[in-house]
Amino acid sequence: MKIIIIGNSAAGLSGLEAFRKQDQSSLVTLIAKEEQRPYSKVLLPYYLRGKVPYDHLFIRDKDYFNRLKVNCVKGSVVKLLVDQQCVQLDDGTLLPYDKLLIASGSSPVKPPIPGLSGEGIHHLWTLEDVRQLKTHFIKGKHVVVLGSGFVSLQGACAALSQGLTVSVIELVKRIMMRALDEQGADILAAQMKSKGVDLRVNTLTTRIEKTEEQRYLLHFKDGGHLESDFIIVGTGVRPNIDFLEGTAIKVDAGILVNEQMESSQPGIYAAGDVAQVPSFTGGKPVVHALWPTAVETGTIAGACMASGKNRYKGSLNMNVTQMFDLTVASMGEFVGDDGCESWIDESLPDQQYLKIVLKDGVPIGATCVGSADLVATLGMLRPLIREKVRLSGEPEMLKSIMAQNISQHHQAFVK
Amino acid sequence: MRFITMDVTKCVVCRNCEYACAFRQTGDFKREDSNIRVDYHDDVKICLPQTCMHCDDAWCLEICPAAAIYRNESTGAIEIISERCAGCKMCILACPFGNIHFDNINMVSRKCNLCQGEPNCVSFCISGALQYTTDQNSCQNNREIFQRFIENISSDNH
Repeated sequence: MKIIIIGNSAAGLSGLEAFRKQDQSSLVTLIAKEEQRPYSKVLLPYYLRGKVPYDHLFIRDKDYFNRLKVNCVKGSVVKLLVDQQCVQLDDGTLLPYDKLLIASGSSPVKPPIPGLSGEGIHHLWTLEDVRQLKTHFIKGKHVVVLGSGFVSLQGACAALSQGLTVSVIELVKRIMMRALDEQGADILAAQMKSKGVDLRVNTLTTRIEKTEEQRYLLHFKDGGHLESDFIIVGTGVRPNIDFLEGTAIKVDAGILVNEQMESSQPGIYAAGDVAQVPSFTGGKPVVHALWPTAVETGTIAGACMASGKNRYKGSLNMNVTQMFDLTVASMGEFVGDDGCESWIDESLPDQQYLKIVLKDGVPIGATCVGSADLVATLGMLRPLIREKVRLSGEPEMLKSIMAQNISQHHQAFVK
Repeated sequence: MRFITMDVTKCVVCRNCEYACAFRQTGDFKREDSNIRVDYHDDVKICLPQTCMHCDDAWCLEICPAAAIYRNESTGAIEIISERCAGCKMCILACPFGNIHFDNINMVSRKCNLCQGEPNCVSFCISGALQYTTDQNSCQNNREIFQRFIENISSDNH
């Protein structure tokens, strides 16, 4: 059998490893758009902070592809020829496959702001982005970060740690819309300001102008403006699926896949940021452009390509980082719509926040801001969310309740 | 494979294991530095020593975005390479048992490494709750011990 894997980040690598666990004989070709040696996107902001050295960005050793008997090709896929079972690369090469794993990841999007292009405008997404950013990370320079999601704020945090002046511009009324609830975001926002970040929410950038001194002048709708040396744009990502144009593969927000990560076209699988996968709630399929989901879905795809056995229980989004001296984390449905109940741990000191969202007594999500211990609590809740274990009692008794539920959550851990 | 079993019916919450572990890590006796933690729940009378189960299918290892977690082939322990750890805490969020902790001084995750095959917590356990035993599957075994215990509690209460 001929296998092609497009992509060599979390989903592609997990897929490859899961496939090779069961199948050592098939010919596997992996197509890598950028660096051939796999690196970790999660680590890029930590590298900019100076916490992780350059060498440690690479997460597989040099012999990795040899050892897994993989032919690694550098190139970009421009077309998928479903009827011929081939992918076409940018240099015209046609590569045939029996089974295909699309793990081509996602790319940052730019908001439609006039003037938002050129030398000093950067994303924080690839190793190349970070190589370029590194040259701008000079003490005393001023950076504007557009957007306030996980990646943007990690960039802001890295810049601040290197002695830069940092402004964060957010279009909507608060930061971290998709990663924190309002109370959590307020704590983090206050902390950022106390560390000296110039944070502006509800701010619409109308145009950007380059000055004679080669700096960038941002004009805001409220009449204000701001000058900076360079700009980091972190306003979301979209799946890399342009090469599917002209195929009948079903796409919504990403490639729609079933519990085995197979697309509407038999033999073609998708995982990671390109895949729209079943959700843990059983509701509408989701695109979670998150590392853990990429590892999980890649592993399922690889196993299913080898044997067809393995089913995904659905993506349970999780996100965690340490920034501005606070740990922030969230998972599942952490905001809580109508009909949900929220448990907030009132015993925690200031600047410590833990909220668990329940629906009909069953936890469906949680978020925390503060110390690392809170993250461990979230970790212990994950199996309870997955197994829909009812929690009854008072929120203050959370730890005891979890102890009583320990047999259930240990059971839940059995895959 | 050798691993630590935790018998919740024998634990007396003396916390010797916590002190022994903390001392082994830092040369000091701060309980927060320990990789084994004993939770005592007065309301339900549960003494719960908890340390890493070195799962066969360790999710912390699979998920670590820094490739900082590996299995030590000679002891079977799942270990963190501090130098590679970015301090992102994804492993802490991944552990379903709450057995990975954070070292706020070095800003890295920290967990039990079985003390290279001679766990200090077991040596200093006064009640026999902690044993360093040999069996096929550490995680499964500990899970069964908890399971039996919880079933006993439930039946006592009824």
